[in-house]
Amino acid sequence: MELIISKENNVVTAALVGRLDTPASQEIADQVNDLCAEAGGTIILDCKELSYISSSGLRIFLTLRKAAAEKGGKVIVRSISNDIRTVFMMTGFLNLFEIE
Amino acid sequence: MLILVAALTLEATSLLQNFFSRRGLMEEARMRAESQLEATRLQLMDATNQAESAVRNSIWIANWCLSYPDSLQSVPYRIVENNPTVVGSTLALVPDYSRRHPLYAPYVYRDAGRIVTKTLATEEYDYPSQSWFTKPLELGRGVWAEPYVDIGGGDVLMTTYSVPITDSEGNQAAVLTADISLSWLAQLIGNSQLYPNSRELLISRGGQILISTAYGQYVRTTIDEVAKEIDDRPSFARLVAEMRSNQSGSIQIKDDGKVHQVFYAPVAVTGWSMAIVIPDNEIYGALRRARIIERIFQLLGLGMLVLILRITAKNQSKYRAINEKKERMESELQIGRNIQMSMIPNTFPPYPERKDIDIAACLIPAKEVGGDLYDFYIRDEKLFFCIGDVSGKGVPASLVMAVTRSLFRTVSAHEYSPQRILTTMNDSMTDMNDNNMFVTCFCGILDLATGHLRYCNAGHNPPIVLSENEHILEVAPNYPLGVVPKVSFREQETDLEYGESIFLYTDGLNEAENSEHEQFTLERMETVLLQRRDAQAYIDAMKKAVTDFVGGAPQSDDLTILVIRYLNEKQSDMAERHLILHNDIRQIPQLAEFVETIAVEMKLDQALSMSLNLALEEAVTNVIMYAYPENTDGLVDIEAILREKSLEFNIIDSGKPFDPTAAPEADVTLDVEHRPIGGLGIFLVNKIMDSVKYMRKDGKNILTMTKKI
Repeated sequence: MELIISKENNVVTAALVGRLDTPASQEIADQVNDLCAEAGGTIILDCKELSYISSSGLRIFLTLRKAAAEKGGKVIVRSISNDIRTVFMMTGFLNLFEIE
Repeated sequence: MLILVAALTLEATSLLQNFFSRRGLMEEARMRAESQLEATRLQLMDATNQAESAVRNSIWIANWCLSYPDSLQSVPYRIVENNPTVVGSTLALVPDYSRRHPLYAPYVYRDAGRIVTKTLATEEYDYPSQSWFTKPLELGRGVWAEPYVDIGGGDVLMTTYSVPITDSEGNQAAVLTADISLSWLAQLIGNSQLYPNSRELLISRGGQILISTAYGQYVRTTIDEVAKEIDDRPSFARLVAEMRSNQSGSIQIKDDGKVHQVFYAPVAVTGWSMAIVIPDNEIYGALRRARIIERIFQLLGLGMLVLILRITAKNQSKYRAINEKKERMESELQIGRNIQMSMIPNTFPPYPERKDIDIAACLIPAKEVGGDLYDFYIRDEKLFFCIGDVSGKGVPASLVMAVTRSLFRTVSAHEYSPQRILTTMNDSMTDMNDNNMFVTCFCGILDLATGHLRYCNAGHNPPIVLSENEHILEVAPNYPLGVVPKVSFREQETDLEYGESIFLYTDGLNEAENSEHEQFTLERMETVLLQRRDAQAYIDAMKKAVTDFVGGAPQSDDLTILVIRYLNEKQSDMAERHLILHNDIRQIPQLAEFVETIAVEMKLDQALSMSLNLALEEAVTNVIMYAYPENTDGLVDIEAILREKSLEFNIIDSGKPFDPTAAPEADVTLDVEHRPIGGLGIFLVNKIMDSVKYMRKDGKNILTMTKKI
């Protein structure tokens, strides 16, 4: 699992590459904390290369979304695969995120 | 006059039947209660024997240790170590026996699997004044103490056996004890309730209530306290006196406006006595229902008789009224017919939600009411069914039919053997059979999980098994019901495979006659049965064939068909795969690989494979994170069973008991602000899998998840 963070004109793009399972979620916990600090602006979660997500990955998504709600920012989920879209649907996440 | 006689005869028969049934049910309650009392007695005897012999076998070594005071502690230690049923033991010295230790009582006991020692020689406890210490010294022999609740040890019910130890010079030196826990006994008694509301009560010689499945709030009180709340005090006092003097027997007690039967017996050498209290209405519950149905039929039969007689009487004088009367009689008989039809299952398919069984039936009386019957119902995943034919037809036969059907329901409610069902029914029917009516009857119990069929045939036409090699079911030559008292029937068994049916009928079918008095015969039936059909189609085809054959001839006998088609697909396990992980979250990728391999092997598509992976990860993560205490090593065993149309996963760990299926379902409709961060793992497992079941067995958590494919 890799989390590649880039910043351009106040827009932070975080690309998730690989499988976001429980151990992977623990590995990127520090980076996610850094991202939370940026939650006042716009965060784009690029899921083009995200092949799998489990509930611990969903936790990260929700943590970011909550931070954005608190700080008045925005979280956009971009290019999710159909499989992951199904998981979002089952858990009601489709209604919580702006999805591109 | 005639009606009066008929009414009296019916009432007498019914009273007689009721009397015998009541006696039988009471006998059954007594037998069940007595066997439970005996079972409890044996279990207790086993436990007390173990404790007694543990202590007795250590007396000599205790004696020897008296000369070496420093080794005294090893005696109770040995007792606890070598006897798993003993939870604690002490060797307490008589005060001032030893100059070095004026007070000395090391207590060795089990604590969370380890054996630890503490001293009882403290000022607060003052062991020399405790009864477990004084009693054996006073009496000079081994003594069982009154049981007590060990508050410090998790509210466990305990009792102690103590013996006095005498030194070589004949001086009383010490007391040696063994404690046994009785918590298993409470569980045993609680788990074996005889009737839904029966209660069990175990009291000690001193009248203390040890275990009670009903008077929970009184557990730390005595039987005399309970007595104050009972309406029928004299009877209760007699019960208490009998129990305390270790008598056995039974007594009737009224309380709360209800009659209870109480069976009691001494259950241990320790002088304890147990009572089982069963409400009367539960013993006779089934009978009461049967009585109501029987009553309806008696009234109906009498009604019809009144009508017939009146019509006959008036016929002679008033021919004009004949048509009117006839219509009335017919309408009465029509009501009789409706009632009779509503006694047998008549909604088809009867179990639309079940895929494993397909049943259809029809009953066509030759007159308005008839003497044929069939019945079926499912209990404990077993189909109980019967078909029967009362000798004769019309109203008399219909009354016997009603009684037979009620008997079948009453008797089969507690039985799992067709042979015992028919034997009991026969006993009741021969008892009351003054009119020489008899009933041929086939009774079967089909195990829906396995297709195993146990059956017993009392003189009925043997059913036909509709399978690849269609054949007539082999039946033993038993008498019909109601003919020979106390006869015993022979039970037989066979197995039904998927798609096979059993075709049951009465002789109204094979003996149906056309206008030339030719019979329909088994051969003609078999031509209809050659083709494979579902249950209802068999009935429809057979009805059409027999109607066509009979033509305009009047129906000569009641005609009944019952078809039971067995459709349970016995799934064979194709393969099993195993994976064992440590409780280390970094091993999750191994799990993903494991699921992927299975998905490839079973040719599952990408989406299904991913959701299985997700469900497995959630369930296993849960175990890895929470089952074992932090920083201890534990294992998770993942077992996959691959079947033709389903996949089953068992996730097994030996951590602390935890039932994930008991967690409340996550609310996925909440908005960002109110949405909790966690709780989605189990939710996803439930969403993805078709069934998720939890079980705690042999100290292990087993989560079984199944997915249809």
